[in-house]
Amino acid sequence: MRPRLIFGIAGIIVFTSLVMYNFSQSITSYVDFEQAVELGGDRIHVIGTWDSSQPAAFSTETMTFSFYMTDESGNTRRVTYPRPKPNNFEQADQIVVIGEMRGDTFVSRDMLVKCPSKYNDANNPELSELQ
Amino acid sequence: MIGILGQAALSLAFVSAILATWFYYRAAQHGSERYESVANALFFLKGAFTFFGSGLLVYLIFTHQFQYYYVYNYTSSDLQNIYLWAAFYSGQEGSLLLWVLSSFVVGLAIIRWTSPVYRAPVMVFMGLTQVFLLSMVSGFPIPGWGDLGASPFRTLASEMPDAPVFQANPDFVPAEGSGLNDLLRSPWIIIHPPVIFLGFAMMTVPYSFALASLWKRKYHEWIHAALPWTLGANLCLLTAIFLGGYWAYVTLSFGGYWAWDPVENASLVPWIFGMAGIHAMLIQKKHASSHKASIIFAILAYVTIVYQTFLTRSGILGDSSVHSFVDLGLYNHLLIFMIVAAAIGLVMLVWRYRELPEPKKESPILSREFMMFSGAMVLFLVGFVIILGTSSPVLGRLFVDNPTPPDQQFYNNWSLPFGVLIGLMTVVTQYLWWKRHTAESLAAVLITPTLIASVITLTAVIWVDMRNIAWMIYLFAAVFAVAGNGLLMFRIMRSNPRRTGGTLTHVGFAVLMIGFLGSGFDRPMVDSRTRDYNQAVVAGQVFDDDGFRVNQPIEFVELEKNTPKLIDGRYMVTFLSAEITERNRPGEQEYEILFEDVESGRTFVMSPTVYPMLSNSSPGAVEWTVDPDVRTGLFSDIFMYVAGSSLVDREIERMNRENPGQFQTIDQLGPQMADHNPDETMVRVRRGGTVQIGEYTVTFRNFIYIDESELPEGSIIGVKADLLLVHRESGESAEIRPGYILASDDDSQFAFNPPETFGLPGLGDDFRDDTDTPEATVRFTEVHPDSDEIELVLTGVEGEPERDWILLAAEHKPLISVVWLGTFLLMFGFSVSIMYRWADQKKREAQEKMETQENKNEH
Repeated sequence: MRPRLIFGIAGIIVFTSLVMYNFSQSITSYVDFEQAVELGGDRIHVIGTWDSSQPAAFSTETMTFSFYMTDESGNTRRVTYPRPKPNNFEQADQIVVIGEMRGDTFVSRDMLVKCPSKYNDANNPELSELQ
Repeated sequence: MIGILGQAALSLAFVSAILATWFYYRAAQHGSERYESVANALFFLKGAFTFFGSGLLVYLIFTHQFQYYYVYNYTSSDLQNIYLWAAFYSGQEGSLLLWVLSSFVVGLAIIRWTSPVYRAPVMVFMGLTQVFLLSMVSGFPIPGWGDLGASPFRTLASEMPDAPVFQANPDFVPAEGSGLNDLLRSPWIIIHPPVIFLGFAMMTVPYSFALASLWKRKYHEWIHAALPWTLGANLCLLTAIFLGGYWAYVTLSFGGYWAWDPVENASLVPWIFGMAGIHAMLIQKKHASSHKASIIFAILAYVTIVYQTFLTRSGILGDSSVHSFVDLGLYNHLLIFMIVAAAIGLVMLVWRYRELPEPKKESPILSREFMMFSGAMVLFLVGFVIILGTSSPVLGRLFVDNPTPPDQQFYNNWSLPFGVLIGLMTVVTQYLWWKRHTAESLAAVLITPTLIASVITLTAVIWVDMRNIAWMIYLFAAVFAVAGNGLLMFRIMRSNPRRTGGTLTHVGFAVLMIGFLGSGFDRPMVDSRTRDYNQAVVAGQVFDDDGFRVNQPIEFVELEKNTPKLIDGRYMVTFLSAEITERNRPGEQEYEILFEDVESGRTFVMSPTVYPMLSNSSPGAVEWTVDPDVRTGLFSDIFMYVAGSSLVDREIERMNRENPGQFQTIDQLGPQMADHNPDETMVRVRRGGTVQIGEYTVTFRNFIYIDESELPEGSIIGVKADLLLVHRESGESAEIRPGYILASDDDSQFAFNPPETFGLPGLGDDFRDDTDTPEATVRFTEVHPDSDEIELVLTGVEGEPERDWILLAAEHKPLISVVWLGTFLLMFGFSVSIMYRWADQKKREAQEKMETQENKNEH
């Protein structure tokens, strides 16, 4: 074996393990609010839907948007978001919030709003409204 | 009817594609020109059918035939013509069709310009990819199974036969479509997708050439023909990435041009692998080595296009991407396409691997072929890291259940060291490329760029007070790359301007690297109070009501109309006006915000817009979105949008009033919580004092004790407040005397304080003798004897004066222009290279032709 080849292979092995390790560290699981409490940390991802029966508003005092979200296991918690209400918020059939649990409030730093209507095929909600 | 015709056209195109591929295969196997002309004819036929089918789809869109699912779902009758045109490829099926069309055009160019040795085998693989793409949109009827793929000509009724509408009336045609997504109604949609798909189509060429070379055992010559195509594909992808990034930056509130979104990565990774391929091909051209790498990268570039297409269109990325598609039922289809594309490449490679030429002796480390090969490997590793991150929904399962996408930090942390490595390597390799060097001579030529880079980096570090060591190294590498490649470029420009493409791209890349660093210095522009607050947040000194540490800085400033505020320590900003102009779409609001630079005295007005996304919303819950305004500067941009305003609030209220049935308690951007009744105003006023409510001044003159004889039974004490309500503008007034009676029954005390109704003064003649005079009420709710104050709750009197306010989100974004400059340099470099390589290839072909002619003559 040529030394350069050995060197290259060793380098690739080291590199790959480093990348895989780093990758495994930078992903987490989607959890619900109760698991979020147990999990701790500040990059928790929770999937859920907006609870439209409770108020949602942006406060100019704290400059946060608060709303209530129901996770996939049915727990509802107040969620704060440090920016104004994102696009597509009301239409979203799913919201992913990223942040940390503080007492009964989920303090999110990021929010992904999955906007279904335009690309969705199967259950177009608008069509059921057609007369 | 037209739908059936369209489906038939695409089905016939699908069949022609299969036949064309088959005949190309026969032609390639037997070297038969007759088969090849049959195949060419079939290929043209396929193109004609696809164009015809696409034309029908466009016709359906322009004639608003909403009984078709695609037309219903992506258009509406109010769309402007350019967006109707764009709607053709706004959905998944149409965009696949656009991909097929682009591939057809590229196929024509291959037929026209490729040398006969490679033509038929290359077209076999080009044809094969067409078969797959067409199968996904053909709707080819397979007896006993159904239609193949997702035809854009499906009708609504066939798509959702269970919908009550269709069960009641199968011939139902909606009067209006659901419209194009508002975010897509931007002029950029005209140009961005076609360029992307042209890039995808062109990337099929190196893939096909590589496979053809393996098949026909001609491992060397293919690169000359494939090189300009790979460069072209990379130019297209780069242009498309740039257009997408620019589009996102200037029209969305994401606040940036890049977010490592899977859909963005889907075109970045093939670009990187294409780059690796170009480098490998150039080594092969100059040094007759790295045959394997050229073939592998050419295959990989295309396979990643298909792989990322699979990721973004199969629905797998649903949770992790803001703009991935939902599964159209093409999951298996895409999976097979991907597996076949990868398997063909792998099998052919393994089949011929032993035959592939090996370099006879190892190249020294300081040789251009070794350095370039290492460069290609580094590019490959970068692509690998990005693919890994993008694949988290699939590969993340190795580590956790239900994996989330990685933090953006994952990508950023890896690109930084890779950037440094690439920056340094470009200079070394470029110098080796143009001249043979020993370690000493190389060191000698590198002294100048090193000196330049050191001085500039040091100056910049001190100037911007950079503390991060990794960034310093990165900056050094970037400046070193600009200087090193730049010096070389000027030399070549003088001696051989046609060959500057290579150095130009490297300079462009280095400039890009500097531009990327700017994003580390993005800074929200806020007033000094907010800035102090943010500093306290960073220092961990701010706690919320529940005692938790606040870790989110505030990035917004509230501005009242015509009240200037100093932000960023430098700009006096004034909110001048907000108006519903409907310039580009219904309900669009334009804002004018004046910026005065107190340092230079320069002023400018920025006009962001806000608009309701009517086509995405139901009438009861209209969504609003912003369109930022960007002021481009040489070194720094000001990016700003209106995150909320009183005008938006009023519009929401109005819309909610007009659709009371669907009222939802969401006071989306407004300052108060939604459970607050906006009509009710509570005030506290001292005896003898006054309070201003809206256009009125209320004076609490005194208490009037109610005589015991007038009190109801069981009362303990009763008072009235003697109030005078004056309409300030007209001076008209009203006297009101709401009462407060403390009463008790057997065991408890309670207050009896009914609201007192009165007519509002000062509303002018319109209301004078009208029975509908607007009425207001006042309730005397509390007495505070200790402070001699009373509490009143008024309704119908506007609480606060109509305040006009906006929430301004402004950001300082350094070096954005440098990013664009780097991109343009790259594009320009690619274009120069394409022209050079293309001419080079033509010359080579002409020469070969002459040689074969001469050989014939000799015999």
